[in-house]
Amino acid sequence: MGIKIDDFIKENRKEFETDRPSSKLWDRIEEQLDKKEQKKTINLQMWIGIASSFIILMSIAFIYLYPQEKKVVNLADVNPVYAKKQLRFAGLIEEKRDSLQIFAKSNPKLYDKFNADLQKLELTYNALKKELPGSPNQQLVVKAMVKNLEIQLQVVSQQLMIINQVSQYKKENSI
Amino acid sequence: METVYIDKNAGLVNDCRKGSRKAQFELYKLYERAMYSAALRIVNDEAEAEDVLQEAFLEAFTRIVDFRGDTTFGLWLKQIVINKSINYLRKRKAELVSLDGVDIADETHSDHQENEDRQAVEWKVEEVKAAMKLLPDGYRVVLTLYLFEGYDHEEIAHILKISENTSRSQLMRAKTKLKNNMEKKGARDGY
Repeated sequence: MGIKIDDFIKENRKEFETDRPSSKLWDRIEEQLDKKEQKKTINLQMWIGIASSFIILMSIAFIYLYPQEKKVVNLADVNPVYAKKQLRFAGLIEEKRDSLQIFAKSNPKLYDKFNADLQKLELTYNALKKELPGSPNQQLVVKAMVKNLEIQLQVVSQQLMIINQVSQYKKENSI
Repeated sequence: METVYIDKNAGLVNDCRKGSRKAQFELYKLYERAMYSAALRIVNDEAEAEDVLQEAFLEAFTRIVDFRGDTTFGLWLKQIVINKSINYLRKRKAELVSLDGVDIADETHSDHQENEDRQAVEWKVEEVKAAMKLLPDGYRVVLTLYLFEGYDHEEIAHILKISENTSRSQLMRAKTKLKNNMEKKGARDGY
C-alpha cells in the first residue's frame, strides 16, 4: 500500500536537505562581508568628518556673529520718534545726493568739494553709530545722530541750490 | 500562553551581532544545506540557488541587529531565502502562476488520478526530487511552499500574489503531475 506524498515528505524531511552549495560560496559571502565592513568604516569616518567640520563651522559662525548681533542696536528701540526722523532724513539725503550727482559732470571740481564736506559729516555719523551700542546714554547718541543727518540734509540742500545756480549761470553765459 | 522559542544558536547569533566572522561562518555551515535545498527546490537552478544563498546570508548578517529573536534564527533566515528565491523566479518569469486550469486539466480524470490512493508507489527521495525538477515553476513553488515549508494556502496566496483557490488547485495539479512524472520515470526504467 502506497503512502501519500505529503506523509512521505514529512517523514523524510531531513533526507531532502542534503544538497550542498559549492565550497566557494562562503568565500564569495566573506568577500562581500569584508567589502561591506570597509564601506561601513569609511562611511562612519566620512560622517564623523562631516559632523566635526559642521560643528567647527557653526562655532566660527557663532563666535563672529553673536557679538555683532549684540552690537547692532535698533534705533527704534532707543527712541522711536528719532528713528522715524532718521529714516526720513536718510531717504531725503539719498535723493538729494542723487540729484547732486547729475551736476557732477558739468561741475566736477565743485562736486568733489561738496562731496568732501558730506563725507566729513558722514564719518562723524558712522563714528556715532559705532559708539551707540556701548554708550551709557544712548538717547543722547541717537539725538546726535539725527542732528548729524539733519545737518547733512541742510548741507546737501544748499549744495544742490548752489550747483543749480552755477550751472544755470554757465548755461546763460554760454548762450 | 505565548510560545517561547528557544534558539539553540542564541550564542552564535549574539556573536554575529558583534560582527564575529567565526560565528558567521559557523552559522553558515549549520544552515547551508537546508537553505540551499530550499532555494534549489524553488528556483530549480544550482547557480541561481547559490546566488540566492549568497544574498540571503549577506542580508541576514548585515540585518542581524534587526533580528529580535521572537523566532529562531533558522526560521528567520529561511524566510529571507524563500522570499529571495521567489523574487529570482519572478525575475525569470513575468507571470509566475499564469496558467489557471490549462495544462493538466484533462489529465485530472486520467486513470492515475482514480487510482491515486490505491497506487503502490515506492517513494524514494531522489526520485521525488527528480520528479519535482520536472514540474513547471508555478506548480513546483506551490508544492514546495505547502509540503516542505509548511505554508498554508493563505500564506501561499499572499507571498505569490495569487488567490487562495488558485493556490489550492495548483497544489492539487502539482501533486498529480508529480506522481505522473514519477510513474513515467518508473515505466521508462521498467523497459
